[in-house]
Amino acid sequence: MELPSNTSERGLSMAIEFEIYYILFILVAPFLIFSLIWTIFGLSYPFVFVWGMIASGKNIENMVEDVNRRESETRKLRGKDPLSTIDGGYRHNVSDSGLVYASGVFGPSHWHLLIGWFNNLFGGSITIFQKVISTGRAEVMQRLRENAIAAGWDDVINVRIDTADMTPQSSKKGVKGVEVFAYGTGIKYSD
Amino acid sequence: MEQVVNGVLVVNTETIPGKKITETLGVVSGSTVRAKHVGKDIFALFKNIVGGELTQYTELLQEARQDAVARMVADAMTLDATAVVNVRFATSAITAGAAELFAYGTAVKYE
Repeated sequence: MELPSNTSERGLSMAIEFEIYYILFILVAPFLIFSLIWTIFGLSYPFVFVWGMIASGKNIENMVEDVNRRESETRKLRGKDPLSTIDGGYRHNVSDSGLVYASGVFGPSHWHLLIGWFNNLFGGSITIFQKVISTGRAEVMQRLRENAIAAGWDDVINVRIDTADMTPQSSKKGVKGVEVFAYGTGIKYSD
Repeated sequence: MEQVVNGVLVVNTETIPGKKITETLGVVSGSTVRAKHVGKDIFALFKNIVGGELTQYTELLQEARQDAVARMVADAMTLDATAVVNVRFATSAITAGAAELFAYGTAVKYE
């Protein structure tokens, strides 16, 4: 009678021990993983920062070039810019309409943030941020044109462009970026 | 990029071009809060050092927007609306890496 009860007790205590380790592991593992990731982040940060210092200016120039090329292609295809901000009051030959939108999240590199901070000390216009945001805006407007053409719309009327912050003002951490969002109503002419 | 979502026409103009609105049914809205998983957040953090477009968050907001529009349309369908006009969007950042999207408009009937 004693033996089975003993073994079962031992089994129970082993099970409890195992469970404690299991729970401990589950509690600690996320922190271990996070600390590992942050260590990697901290170690690689200087290298990525220097790379961004070298590459980010060039990246923006490439983006501007790319957007300009695509924009001129669209103009050549359509003969004019399909976007307009007015409500289509004067158009009477519209057969079909629907919502189109495009968006993108753009952020300055940390090197540009540093330049911007220095610029901020002296005041005046901070050209580097203006460049980043206006490039993003041009890119999103081009995407809107491409989306509208892909959906088969002839024109896009009542275009609105919104900008929203990705990080809340209160938090210092997180990604520094701005979301640009453009939307409008695609229309199709009946003739 | 559909012109008609679940049989409801969605436009952001005050009137529907080429159609006549017969009845206004009230304001309809849809909202959603979405986030990407930690891996993508960390990747975006790295990408942010170099600058440029953060494709993970572009994707996140695109999905969130589609969600919000779909919910707005579902709201309009409960009112038996055939179209939603004058659609506006609002975005707010609750914490870093999460986005709240809010879409609203006026539900109408048109002929």
